[in-house]
Amino acid sequence: MTFEAPDIDYAGLSPVLALTVGVVLALVVGLFGSGRRQRIVVSIFGLGTLAAAAGLCIWQWGESKELIAGALRIDDLAIAATLVAIVSAAFCIPLSWREESVERPLGPTGHGEFQALLICSVLGMTLIAQAQNLIAFFVALELLSVPLYVLCGSATRREQSLESGLKYLIIGSLGSATLLYGLAFVYGASGSTDFDGVRAAVGGAVVDDPLLLIGIALAAAGLAFKLSVAPFHQWTPDVYQGAPTPVTAFMAVATKAAVFCVVVRFFDVALGPAVGDWQPALAALGAVSIVVGNAGALGQDSLKRLLGYSGVAQAGYMMVAVVAASEAGVSALVFYLAAYALMNLPAFAVITIRERETPFGDHIRAVDGLGRERPALAAALTISMLALAGLPGTVGFIGKLFLIEAAVDSDYTWLGVMIAIGTMISLAYYLRVVAAVWMRPAAERPAGGAMPAIAGGSQEADTAGKGVRCRVILGATLLAAAATVFFGVLPSPLVDWAARAGESIAALP
Amino acid sequence: MDITWYLVLSALLFAVGAGGVLVRRSPLVILLCLELMLNAGNLALVAFARSSGNEEGQVFALVVMVVAACEVVIGLGLIVAMFRRRLALDVDEMRELRG
Repeated sequence: MTFEAPDIDYAGLSPVLALTVGVVLALVVGLFGSGRRQRIVVSIFGLGTLAAAAGLCIWQWGESKELIAGALRIDDLAIAATLVAIVSAAFCIPLSWREESVERPLGPTGHGEFQALLICSVLGMTLIAQAQNLIAFFVALELLSVPLYVLCGSATRREQSLESGLKYLIIGSLGSATLLYGLAFVYGASGSTDFDGVRAAVGGAVVDDPLLLIGIALAAAGLAFKLSVAPFHQWTPDVYQGAPTPVTAFMAVATKAAVFCVVVRFFDVALGPAVGDWQPALAALGAVSIVVGNAGALGQDSLKRLLGYSGVAQAGYMMVAVVAASEAGVSALVFYLAAYALMNLPAFAVITIRERETPFGDHIRAVDGLGRERPALAAALTISMLALAGLPGTVGFIGKLFLIEAAVDSDYTWLGVMIAIGTMISLAYYLRVVAAVWMRPAAERPAGGAMPAIAGGSQEADTAGKGVRCRVILGATLLAAAATVFFGVLPSPLVDWAARAGESIAALP
Repeated sequence: MDITWYLVLSALLFAVGAGGVLVRRSPLVILLCLELMLNAGNLALVAFARSSGNEEGQVFALVVMVVAACEVVIGLGLIVAMFRRRLALDVDEMRELRG
């Protein structure tokens, strides 16, 4: 009996390996030292891991190969989604730096555990973006979700944070269980767990199999929970508001990037031949999401809830690209995911900074008069709001243009019209924030300086604007805001990048 | 092999679990119901594995068991953290975040 050495493609696996090592390193390094030193050392290792993973991804850019006996596949689409996740995690790390002893998550080893969980979630996103069979898909989805549940509940001193963690756990697990049941039926109908096997079976005789239809419906519902697509979105504003703001920023951007990537692979590729079965359903989900998200955001006074509802609407816009089921659709989706990261991260950064500077938490009063007080922050927030609303000159406009183009090309013109209508409604609440920033005087602060027990409500207000930490956060915020405008004026580099990712999906319906 | 009855049973389990998540108020019972939903998926996977004659479904079910255990650990951890803060362990009382 002879053994054959398995052929392991370490180059293709290198981003996954780097992140795995990073999780372990962050945990171990977090045990040494405490306070300031711990924060610095852990952050160096955490950011170093993310930088290494990003570098390895860029090195593998343009490759297209199967890994681990076909369970994973690294191609430009996977790498693009991974890069978006890595950038938002790298943005989240400086935001999570806090004054010692105040509001530190998770006790004395806080920073190590926080960043280990964060990198673990990025690892799950990397894997899900590469998943090529149902098992890898499900395990990677859990690997990205489970650390997020803990991160949401990580500010254990705040009731809201614990509550949002438990809510996210219950709703997320409900979504996972629904998805699993759907995947079981897809497996039952096709007799294979590989996406290729499912595609072959679906292309054959089982298109009208009731088992497959049940499977598609349940899987779509389960994924809609994860993507916060209406009508499965009720948890979104609550969890966004309760979770620590840096975690919210990461969760909003990175989860969407990774899960939309697998939605493309699962629906557009594996279930591609059954396109008639799922296309109307996803189109309806997208349309409902656009309406519900934009309508829900209108009356919100909490900025995080506002961005939560705005995220529901944006998920609806992105769903349109999946419905288009074409190369143009996938490219538009990748472009919009990158744009969404650039637009959303500065907004969350400004909210985090203001939560620490003012006693209003994430209430819209926290940004009143920001234009006079902190012009740089005000400019970043304004750019991000205008970009989310899709004004020309920002990356959000170009992104919506591509989405509408993809929808029209695939004979879903009415969805393109829905995007336009949704954008019009959304101006009402995005401009409200801009008006508060520039047109209102700074809100009166209650005397005594008693900070309420809200997110980030620490004594850091005294040192606002000073220190390395604040400068790093401010620099990253302004960089992202500048990129939002830059790619809005000169979109071609980002467009080429997204087009390459779209081309890597060969088999579309 | 006819797997109809296994599927009927798994559908019942799934419905009982989903109903429990929706109506029960204690987070502990909700976690139990989530387990029930995942196990309904497992039963369906194993049944389908028998009918289609390959073992992939059984492998999937084994993996799901591990994942389910992880979820419960996190859930119990959060519940313990809430209990230590003397928060009401009743999901209807969790109105700190309106919604």
